[in-house]
Amino acid sequence: MEKIITNAKKVIEKTKKLYGNSPDLNTRIINIKGTNVGILFFESSSQASTISDFIIKGTLYTATNKNLFQNIFEALKNNLFNSQLFTIKDYSQFPYFLSSGFTIIVTDNSSEAIIMETRAQLDRGITESSSEPILRGSKDSFTESHSKNLGLIRKRIKDSNLWFDELKLGRRTQTRISIAYINGISDPKKIKEIKKRLKKIDIDGVLDSGNIKDYLIKQKSVFPQIQSTERPDVVSQALLSGKIAIFTENCPFTLILPNVFVDYLHTSEDQNQKSSNITFTRILRTIALIITLFTPAIYIAITTFDQNTIPDKLLISLAIQRKGVPFPTTFEIILLTTIFEILRESDLRSPSSMSAAMSIVGALVLGQAAVDAGIVSPITVIVVAFTSICSLIFTDIDFMNGIRTWRFIFILAASTLGIIGVLSFAIILLIKLASLENLETSYLSPFAPFSIKDQNNAIYKAPEEKIINRPDYVSNLNPHRQRRTK
Amino acid sequence: MKRLTLILSFFIISIFLTGCAGYEELNNLSIVTAVAFDKTDDNYELSFLIANSPKAQTSAKEGEAKTTVYEGKGKTIAEASKAIEQIVPKKTYLGHINVVIISEDIAKDGFLKIADWLLRNPQTRKKFYLLQAKDEKAKNILKITSPLESFPSQSIATLIESNAETKSIATSITYSNFISQILEKGYDPVLPTITIKGDVKKGSNEKNLETTEPETHLALGPLAIYKKDKLEGFSTEKESWAINVLKNEAKEVNYNVKYQNEDISIETNYLKSKIKIIDTQNVEITISGKGDIYNINNKIDIQNYKVINKIEKAWSNSLKKDLSKVIKKIQNKYKSDIFGFGNLIYKNKPKTWQKLEKDWNNKYFPNLNVKIKTNLKIEATGSLVQTIKEGK
Repeated sequence: MEKIITNAKKVIEKTKKLYGNSPDLNTRIINIKGTNVGILFFESSSQASTISDFIIKGTLYTATNKNLFQNIFEALKNNLFNSQLFTIKDYSQFPYFLSSGFTIIVTDNSSEAIIMETRAQLDRGITESSSEPILRGSKDSFTESHSKNLGLIRKRIKDSNLWFDELKLGRRTQTRISIAYINGISDPKKIKEIKKRLKKIDIDGVLDSGNIKDYLIKQKSVFPQIQSTERPDVVSQALLSGKIAIFTENCPFTLILPNVFVDYLHTSEDQNQKSSNITFTRILRTIALIITLFTPAIYIAITTFDQNTIPDKLLISLAIQRKGVPFPTTFEIILLTTIFEILRESDLRSPSSMSAAMSIVGALVLGQAAVDAGIVSPITVIVVAFTSICSLIFTDIDFMNGIRTWRFIFILAASTLGIIGVLSFAIILLIKLASLENLETSYLSPFAPFSIKDQNNAIYKAPEEKIINRPDYVSNLNPHRQRRTK
Repeated sequence: MKRLTLILSFFIISIFLTGCAGYEELNNLSIVTAVAFDKTDDNYELSFLIANSPKAQTSAKEGEAKTTVYEGKGKTIAEASKAIEQIVPKKTYLGHINVVIISEDIAKDGFLKIADWLLRNPQTRKKFYLLQAKDEKAKNILKITSPLESFPSQSIATLIESNAETKSIATSITYSNFISQILEKGYDPVLPTITIKGDVKKGSNEKNLETTEPETHLALGPLAIYKKDKLEGFSTEKESWAINVLKNEAKEVNYNVKYQNEDISIETNYLKSKIKIIDTQNVEITISGKGDIYNINNKIDIQNYKVINKIEKAWSNSLKKDLSKVIKKIQNKYKSDIFGFGNLIYKNKPKTWQKLEKDWNNKYFPNLNVKIKTNLKIEATGSLVQTIKEGK
């Protein structure tokens, strides 16, 4: 703690020096009956009109007050109009409040300073989610404003048990991190563990929730164990099921944990549509997952090792198609898959005006022309295209990338060991997934360990009135989410 | 780090093991879809039908195939196959053999002499059809192109599959089935035959496909009757039909019944034969079946159940007569137990069989007394009540 000097002029000089005479630090000194009142704010992060209307006006009005006694500080504190007004005694807190858009008022003869909220609106409004679009459901999404994000949740869950625990991370950025949970549903042990892991972080800056993701995981894996979403309805649903959400200041993506594998086969829309149809959709997603993981590998394995398994006519047609292709099948597949991944990556980073050109080059030049030139066989294009389409069914980018890594592992296994290689690496994948655990929740729950109670919302989705329990693997503190009706 | 090196070394080692694991690119394979065995003097002649030689001047995406036949000679089949591998530029791949055709010379000499090579080869599936070439060299049959299927082996396979179900002149027998039938006690096998109708040279030319009426085509013939692994002779078409009925291979067959001097066509939709061994001299075969009337050309009141009963009776009698004639002929002329009477005795009374086994084909089988019982029913008479005739 650093004491505030009881001289307004000196405080201003000291602060200016602290910021290296940055021009956006605005200061003003008003003399009221021989006492200096210093006002400090950043014009870049504060709303100038608020300061003029309420602080300058208020101060000058106070000065004209005939009943003013010698204590100007107390008079100011009681006469300024603002919903957020408080005093601090620690000078070292000045930079945090100044940068956050607060205005600081210091007076001579006082070791305290008045802090007033005068933040500028430095964020966009609440818009539709662009990364997780849905057909049926609420359309709003989180923004860069921390209080707006918390408000979007508060608005949805009006229970007083919705608690936010706040801490600041990043030595230089001083980013606000809010841990949201519903008291009485979420497991306190998990909350404690998350806080413990977050408090260990000592880093210069946290700019995005992605920066703290890795600290919250114990076992490393290519598959994500924490979901990040920009949809408030997803977060609210997660909170209601006993999960814990972590909000990061200036970041529209909120982290949800603990997450399990089967959560990536779900979407927020699943809650809003007919249950029986959702079961079918989830089966489709599971099939797509298997296809996108194994198709290229199995294609390589059966065309280069186990030709016996292909029907006669198909084999002959495949053999004819491969006539004149100079590369081995494995190389062909890896080449095309890599090209697709590069296309996807460049499409993500390029502005939308370029995407038309990209799709023409991608589809026509790389697909059609490569076949016509005899560099790749048509069936390989079909295999890679089918695989890629199936991988696009998943919205979580981390999950897609995890699948991609394993797809390449399977391709290598298939090209060296054939179908046996694919099978043995599939077993390795299963072992790796089953051994993953985060916050005492197994990654393959509710399948391994198997829980028959939680099967009503894993792949099979029971009608909403039949889902009585909250998932057991998340928290078993308060297991019933609705009363049994008859 | 330790685990990483373990995984890396696993991959590196496995790259060197690819040779053992049998890595083979598709375009380096010559896919053999049909094999023909012939015999010339002392040498065996082996012919491969290779399906994936691409047509000239078509791009890869059209995927059209042309077939080529390669021949090789040798003292053994293996030697002949090596001779072919010297001509064929790519590696021959036997995993997709569809059809195997053996010539009459091979069949008369004994099939088991050549059976070993295809069974011993680890690549082959052992599930291909076996056919007997009749009046022609086996290799010529591979050369005939068909307008409906892209390569000959496929056309033979579809021909035999559809024929076995509907016409019941041929039966479909796989290679391994045939061998197991040879090895079974008291059982002699039959084989479907295939011949060429027309000129071989014209039929092997691609131009054969361009005409609307191909000059040369393949045709399935009547069954070849074997005694163990040796060819005994060929049956006629009517006999083949009867053999298939007795062997329980025919299902949808057409039969013409003479009734009041007019032919009535009956199509069976269910036909079953059951052989019962009474003792070593007497055998009873029960034929039960259901059929529909398909064709009547005279005025018969088929709404009357008594008439139907009469037709059923006529059907029974004529079928009995036909079948016993065929059995008699096989008993006396070929003396090969293709119905498996001996096999049934062996299964029921193994000790009695031991006494009979030696002289079964020559002494006991020809003198077997076969009695035929029938249980036939007409179920439907089609959409017409009366036949189409001018009313008077």
